[in-house]
Amino acid sequence: MRHDRAGATSAVVVGAGLAGLTAATGLAAHGIEVTVLEARDRVGGRTHGRQVGSGSWIDAGAAYLGDRHTELNALIAELGLKTTPTTMQGASRFALGAEHATRDGRFPPLNAVALGDLFELLDELATAVRPEAPWLTPDAERLDALTAAEWAEQHLTHPDARLFFPLFLGEMMAADPADVSVLHLAFYLRSGGGLRYLNAFEGGAQQDRIAGGAHQACELLAGRLGDRVRLGEPVLAVRQDEDGVTVRTPQGDHRADVVVMALPPLLADAVDYRPALPVRRASERTARGCAVKVNLVYPGPLWREHGLSGWSVNAEGPLLSTVDDSPPEGGVGVLTGFVTGGEAHRYAALTAQQQRSAAVEQAARLFPMLPEPIGFHLTDWVNEQYSQGCYAALLGPGDWLRLGPTLTTPHHRVHWAGTETSTEYFGLMEGAIRSGHRVVAEILAR
Amino acid sequence: MSVDTTTSADSGGTPGNPGSDVESVVAIFRRVLESTEVTPDSDFFLLGGDSLIATRVLSAIARSHGVELSFDDFVLAPTPQGLAEQIATAR
Repeated sequence: MRHDRAGATSAVVVGAGLAGLTAATGLAAHGIEVTVLEARDRVGGRTHGRQVGSGSWIDAGAAYLGDRHTELNALIAELGLKTTPTTMQGASRFALGAEHATRDGRFPPLNAVALGDLFELLDELATAVRPEAPWLTPDAERLDALTAAEWAEQHLTHPDARLFFPLFLGEMMAADPADVSVLHLAFYLRSGGGLRYLNAFEGGAQQDRIAGGAHQACELLAGRLGDRVRLGEPVLAVRQDEDGVTVRTPQGDHRADVVVMALPPLLADAVDYRPALPVRRASERTARGCAVKVNLVYPGPLWREHGLSGWSVNAEGPLLSTVDDSPPEGGVGVLTGFVTGGEAHRYAALTAQQQRSAAVEQAARLFPMLPEPIGFHLTDWVNEQYSQGCYAALLGPGDWLRLGPTLTTPHHRVHWAGTETSTEYFGLMEGAIRSGHRVVAEILAR
Repeated sequence: MSVDTTTSADSGGTPGNPGSDVESVVAIFRRVLESTEVTPDSDFFLLGGDSLIATRVLSAIARSHGVELSFDDFVLAPTPQGLAEQIATAR
């Protein structure tokens, strides 16, 4: 690799999500000739807009942001987009026992001390983690070997804490407790700004949405690159030699000085690399983020007239939580349901008709004022071929110790981006953008 | 790992001494809110507290004072002074 450090003049970026498009536009702004290869027939990755009315769009994928998401807020401003606050006025609905309950605010009708004990323990874990290098956390080996399910078995005694823990993990990180290590759980909470920031709407990570849909950020970035973004080109192989790198797709070969792999780890790991990777990008314990997102469209946000916020938390699926995602411009009302953790796998296995009726019937039990929806959108991120999970990859037992130290280490001419390579706001849009900026700096410094 | 290790700073609730109960709840507020601007009549929610960390206060009170207050108790009196009175009543 004689010319490794000669300075790159051309780059192939693999993946046209927020990370890849941030990297590609950043490199192009420094005069580097870029080609973006995207497997799907659309850009956006895990952001995806769906139209629900004339001029009204909703997020079928990543949606929320908060003030601490500084790079995303800067991008939104630069692109001329606007944010809109997530609506959370009114009472919540809870189906956590035999009966449905309505309560002011978001606090569930469960034992407060038991939940407080759980949150104290989680806060202690998140505080102890080394966020920039989780594998160097004190006691990392033990925390990395233990699943969150095993940890809960050992530490949670009150039935309300045991009931709430998997729901909380599903909501926070789309994880089944059996899929993630305690180290990953602790890291994820810390990386996202702590338990409270990650959980909060106002003043937290769910404070705002991008008006008109988060997908617009990717579409506007891709628009700047024009025909340098090539859709429908899934990358099969990456070959490096003395003079450069060849990226192979079914359509042909693309040659460049460097490559940015801006993909979730399970997809990055499936590409054939020569020379081979010294350390894999994912292991057999790395799991798909388990989220199916359901958007139910009604003639209006009818729950508001009954003093309800649209927020609900439910012990039984498929919709483990719901939130009011109605477009800010008025018109239709949109109730978004989250199917997460193990429930996502069960729900994804149903037929389309079964999925629809299960979601519609549950929404009507939670919000009896609701008529039959006028629109129904379901996005199964778990089985999405070119995402393989959402919100983000779930690092399982052993993953952080094995894979963490090389998370961002270039493999000769191959650089790594994607929200899972960002130790800041891992799994969020903010993390994706930060990884894109980091990889641009790496390549410019070659 | 034990919950107790995080809360040594919260102790100081001598049973039957409302003044020290107030002080210990002030210390709990400071820890969970990560703020030093807590006085006996500070409103938890005005200081930026939310229901999630309110439960952490209730957990800490249960451990240091042996009194289990409910979330509704907390909302009725979300100040160190108010919670100290609830602790005294519940004892």
